Amino acid sequence: MRGFRPILILFALVSLLMLGACGSTVQEKAELHTVHADYANTPIPDVPAARPENRAEYPINLFFPVRLVIPAIGINAFVEKVGIRPDGDLATPTQNPWDNVGWYELGPHPGEHGSAVIDGHLDRPGGYPAVFWRLRDIRVGDDIQVTNSNGKTLHFRVSRIAYYTPDQAPIQDIFGNLGGTYLNLITCAGDWIPDQHQTTLRQVVYTTFV
Amino acid sequence: MKLKRLSALLVSSLLLGFGLFGICSFAAFFNIQKASAYQATSPSFVRIIHASPYVGTADIFVDGSKLLSSFAFGSITDYASIPPGPHKVEIALVGKGIDAAAITETLSVNPGFAYTVAAIGTQPNNLSLAVFVDSNLLSPGTAKLRMYELSPDAGSVTVAAGGTTLLSGISYQNASSYLVVPVGEYTFDVTSPTNGTTLSTSATLNANMVASLFVVGKFNGSPKGELVTALAAGLPGLPKTGSDPNAVPQTDAAQTHPFIPWPWPLGIASMLFIGSWIFIRRVVAKRQ
Repeated sequence: MRGFRPILILFALVSLLMLGACGSTVQEKAELHTVHADYANTPIPDVPAARPENRAEYPINLFFPVRLVIPAIGINAFVEKVGIRPDGDLATPTQNPWDNVGWYELGPHPGEHGSAVIDGHLDRPGGYPAVFWRLRDIRVGDDIQVTNSNGKTLHFRVSRIAYYTPDQAPIQDIFGNLGGTYLNLITCAGDWIPDQHQTTLRQVVYTTFV
Repeated sequence: MKLKRLSALLVSSLLLGFGLFGICSFAAFFNIQKASAYQATSPSFVRIIHASPYVGTADIFVDGSKLLSSFAFGSITDYASIPPGPHKVEIALVGKGIDAAAITETLSVNPGFAYTVAAIGTQPNNLSLAVFVDSNLLSPGTAKLRMYELSPDAGSVTVAAGGTTLLSGISYQNASSYLVVPVGEYTFDVTSPTNGTTLSTSATLNANMVASLFVVGKFNGSPKGELVTALAAGLPGLPKTGSDPNAVPQTDAAQTHPFIPWPWPLGIASMLFIGSWIFIRRVVAKRQ
């Protein structure tokens, strides 16, 4: 027994280290700490004039995305058009739900002034990864690429990453920010709530046109 | 014998090294996961409407910088993003400069919220900003309508369309709640109870639209009362992009996207490496 004591002690120490490092399930609840942007030194932008509601007045050379590539985390996905669900939420891809991403076609086109939005599933039924499984690994500064059917590619750079509960999400920021040209990515995060058929959180990756 | 001992020590050192590397990688995997989770503060969103009969065409300054030039009475901007927190808003007659500001107020806004800010007032001693928190969440397949009563002498107005009262009892400096209405062509009739005058304006409300109807000006005086409309695309709620982890997986899921929780095998292998290192060290020590 004495001969095995150091082995047992080491086993206990290593086990404690592994348990401490984990501390959560694979679909873990995000630990949030607030990062404050330097708003004190950020100049207030020009105010846009009231925009025409008739979308037919927009330029005809709009960018229709067909592919989304995020080299830093190995995402290369076909882009579907998505609209609104009957309950008013943004819809998700239907042609290939787990491998495609969905561009909100009622919002701005990528590269157009305002906030274009693309969503994608985090996982599949049973917990296997879906197209945005690795979106959690994205970092500020990473490159986002959207390509149209003519092979033209637009680049965006990740500027912010945030996690929200669905009812507390700043939808004006995600879908309606007219302060620049943005492309925001959305997927789920947090724990699964069985009686609500959804997860506790949403991850939003804010990116800016470069 | 010496060579055997050296070989055993070398092997045991390699095993220890692999074990420690594996443990560190295992811990780093989950620490990286946690380090990526943070929440960045959203800006605030503000649109401004000029509804003060006293102040003519104006310049608007925020925190000492000019934001709007030659802003005419009855004009409304789109939503602009500004940093959350308190801001000093000053409104002066066009070209008179910030030092001649007729309205000086602190506007405090919260991150992620959308606001309508109205410059109001008929005399130098009652000039101010009326601030409303907006909700641009769409109503699927229908439209939303909100009325802002910014006319100082209209009283509690009534809004009707096609002879049907839609909103009533909206008093000065107040806004109605959002009313869900069917899509279609509308002629809105706004009636003032003070003198029975009715103002009318037409608008086409499309699906998922948020319509804002502002009553500005004077029903008895100048500038003359008028209706200002602002139409915006409503915003959707967030999508449901998660799946039930306990559901029966699709038949091709395991083959096309095998889920390999690699940190755990690595952690177990690391423990085996370290255990082997200890065992070999003890064997070598016994044979000496």
